[in-house]
Amino acid sequence: MVLEEEIPRFASWIGPAVLRYAATAGAAAVAAGLCAWLAQAVAYGPLASGDRVYRGILAGLADLALPSPRRVWALARLAIQESLRRNVLVALALFAVILTFAGWFLDPASVDPGRLYIGFILGATNFLVCMVALVLAAFSLPADVKSKAIQTVVTKPVRTSEIVLGRTLGFALVGTCLLALMAFAGWAFIVRSVSHVHALEDADVFASPQAGSEGRTSLVRGHRHRVVVDGSGNGVAETAHGHRHAVSVTGTAGDGGRRYAVGGPLGILEARRPLRGSLRFLDREGRPAAKGISVGNEWAYRQYIEGGTAGAAIWTFDGITPEEFPNGLPLEMIIRVFRTYIGRIEEGIHGTIQLRNPTTSLRSESLPIVAREHTIDSLFIPRRINTVLASGELREVDLFAELVSDGRVEVWLQCLEPAQYFGVAQADFYLRAGEGSFALNYAKSCLGIWFSMLVCTALGVMFSTFLSGPVALLATMAMLLVGQFREFIARLFTSQVTGDSSLVPGGGPIESLYRIVTQTSITLELDPTPAVQAMKTADTLLLAPLRLAAGLFPSLSTLGTSDFVAGGFDIPANLLAAHAAETLGYVAAFVVAGVFCLKAREVAS
Amino acid sequence: MIQQATNGAATAARPSPGDVIVETRNLSKVYRDFWGRSKKTALKPLDLDIRRGEIFGLLGPNGAGKTTTLKLLLGLIFPTSGEALVFGKPATDVSKNERIGYLPEESYLYKFLDAEETLDFYGRLFDMPPEERRRRSEALIEMVGLTRDRKRQLREYSKGMTRRIGVAQALINDPELVILDEPTSGLDPIGTREMKDLIIDLKSRGKTVIMCSHLLADVEDVCDRIAVLHLGELKELGRVEDLLRVTGVTQFRATGLSPAAVADIERVLEKHGAADVEVGNPRTTLEDLFLEVVRDTEARPGRRARRPETGRSE
Ligand SMILES: Nc1ncnc2c1ncn2[C@@H]1O[C@H](COP(=O)(O)OP(=O)(O)O)[C@@H](O)[C@H]1O
Ligand SMILES: [Mg+2]
Repeated sequence: MVLEEEIPRFASWIGPAVLRYAATAGAAAVAAGLCAWLAQAVAYGPLASGDRVYRGILAGLADLALPSPRRVWALARLAIQESLRRNVLVALALFAVILTFAGWFLDPASVDPGRLYIGFILGATNFLVCMVALVLAAFSLPADVKSKAIQTVVTKPVRTSEIVLGRTLGFALVGTCLLALMAFAGWAFIVRSVSHVHALEDADVFASPQAGSEGRTSLVRGHRHRVVVDGSGNGVAETAHGHRHAVSVTGTAGDGGRRYAVGGPLGILEARRPLRGSLRFLDREGRPAAKGISVGNEWAYRQYIEGGTAGAAIWTFDGITPEEFPNGLPLEMIIRVFRTYIGRIEEGIHGTIQLRNPTTSLRSESLPIVAREHTIDSLFIPRRINTVLASGELREVDLFAELVSDGRVEVWLQCLEPAQYFGVAQADFYLRAGEGSFALNYAKSCLGIWFSMLVCTALGVMFSTFLSGPVALLATMAMLLVGQFREFIARLFTSQVTGDSSLVPGGGPIESLYRIVTQTSITLELDPTPAVQAMKTADTLLLAPLRLAAGLFPSLSTLGTSDFVAGGFDIPANLLAAHAAETLGYVAAFVVAGVFCLKAREVAS
Repeated sequence: MIQQATNGAATAARPSPGDVIVETRNLSKVYRDFWGRSKKTALKPLDLDIRRGEIFGLLGPNGAGKTTTLKLLLGLIFPTSGEALVFGKPATDVSKNERIGYLPEESYLYKFLDAEETLDFYGRLFDMPPEERRRRSEALIEMVGLTRDRKRQLREYSKGMTRRIGVAQALINDPELVILDEPTSGLDPIGTREMKDLIIDLKSRGKTVIMCSHLLADVEDVCDRIAVLHLGELKELGRVEDLLRVTGVTQFRATGLSPAAVADIERVLEKHGAADVEVGNPRTTLEDLFLEVVRDTEARPGRRARRPETGRSE
């Protein structure tokens, strides 16, 4: 799971966020006021225009105060009735069709079926619910204006705010019901799809030289498990394709062989609660480095360390207590492998892990690991562990007594094989601090979809207050699209302004076009001739409004949390709270903007 | 029996000026296109006072600016200049709508609702409690004669039925001021009669009615005062009987005269120097007025100041 930024604590995030929101909203409001004044000044002259805008603002503000719940509900009900009339339930049928097809084309034998199904279901639900919300919201008010039904409504004592709120609420309720139904169906689909059992025959189990017996299960969904059974008849089908099974001996068959029962998959639908550390690097000579090595095939998220050198990735974990980890540290890691030669591809790349006390510099012995692609490797570091003394001797110590100081411990990762690389990211190394409930996590992710749906609805309603249906839909989609790329646009603009082409190689739209036409590589700096300078300036000017928009527009993918659920990670409450606040902020802003737009508009002309 | 219609003194007492509930000052409207270019001058500066308890008619041919005027009064569109005050509040103030009932040109209602749901919905918009909504919609459905069709969606309604539910919707809040845009359009003769009776009944219950129509008969039958609009301009304004009184023309109407008697009377009239004696059924004089306005405008554009209304400074 890609986690680009640390998730801030909500309590410390919300203050600055509210300030930033107020500043942005204020600036947008002032800009909108100026635009309104300019537009009116053309027709009525500057003074009369100022008067009109001033009175418009007062009227709009008065309109927003204390809407009547009964009227809002009446309009919301109308919106719901209208949605039903417009056959929103077709979306459910569509979802059912998607599920049917998903059953065919999603491969249950894939390496990580849980991730595949969860990602697909949540993605489809998100898309459908948001699309329905968008279409309903964007077409409703324009249809009323066109059929002139709005004229009968606004000549009742209905405030504009009640119209906007009523629509938003009505469509949001429709979206909520759709989402709830799809979420339940999706849940059932996921659970049904991942569940399977293997058969274990006595003939496949042999006495093991270590203890008890071992064997292998039958091949189901493209995989089988190695089984270890202890002397008392309890066993486990070891992790393959991301899950385990419990195994037990149930009795003896007529021919004297044992009968085994294999349980359902374990560890496939999980919600891990990771405790993450902060990451730093040592370069190949063992000197501290700000970054690892970028191998160029992936963007900067993952950094690489070179094998067979002093290069290391070091995570510092904080807040480690014996109370929380009484038996030792359950370390989990996702290590990417970059091979400069293929080697033995099925083997994985060898590396080591060491613990180090950040204060006393005492180190543990090196623990071997094998990094395999696409799986979460785990390593349990026990309480009693050998440390390496200055003399080179080993001494067994208590982890918490000697290696952890003030709750802090360092974990060093090194790659052993020369000319092979390990790729790591800060979020990829964590201590498994606890387990959340998968069902709850799924619900939390649906809550994220719900937030997206609310934003879509409010945005659609806002645009529909002054645009015709198709145009409103287009505007909403355009806005969401810019929002989707807001981080990229921000980075691109910064790279344009600072001239730091490492942020986004290749430059802005004109420069990119030039590079395409002249077939110039994006990593090649262009000679700073006046023509190139002019081109870059034009790019910056073009990007400036986009950059501004990127600072304002919502990004639905940021609100989405299906990555967490699919990756098996618990969605942090802090993140959810921040998303709720962000949604509230956007919805409020869009409702207010919608009210002003509708109020400024002649609904009967 | 010979009935003299000429010089019939106006009998109704003039309402006091304090009772003005709709007031327009210099109200004008130019429709603009998306880019702000003027497209159509729909209403030239208009001054009107409409008083409590009267039935005020806006009369004019299609495109005269009648609907535009009503929309300006309702705040559905914004004036290009001047202002409209309703109950002393600006037309854009929504709180005035508490006391207004509006029947648009065609009943613009939600076609997927049935009659009951429609009235319930608009009742909610007046923040009425459920009990009151039920009572009022019951009474109104009964009144407009839709009892049998109350459960049918409006999409299935005929034009006349739609008009009726439109009227019911306009009266849901028992308004003080009823604004009706072409109330009889789409109604059959009986429906038209019922509508006129309803309007007169509203007046008798102390309501003020503003209606507009291009149908002379409607206006003539029910209105106390009328304004004649043509091409966005006020051409005539006054009490119906004043406007229809043609000074210098005397009209007699009688029954039971033999042809000989008619010839006798004609001779007597000629003896007294009467010219252009016309004998026959009297024409709808409002129609005359109307046609005259239209003809006159073609000859001399501008406001007709032929017969200023008493008490109005022109
Ligand atoms: N929304 C509009 N945009 C442009 N012109 C309009 C609009 N509405 C009405 N008009 C024009 O204004 C004039 C007056 O229209 P209206 O008030 O509807 O007339 P009527 O007296 O028939 O009700 C007409 O010429 C009409 O074409
Ligand atoms: Mg009209």
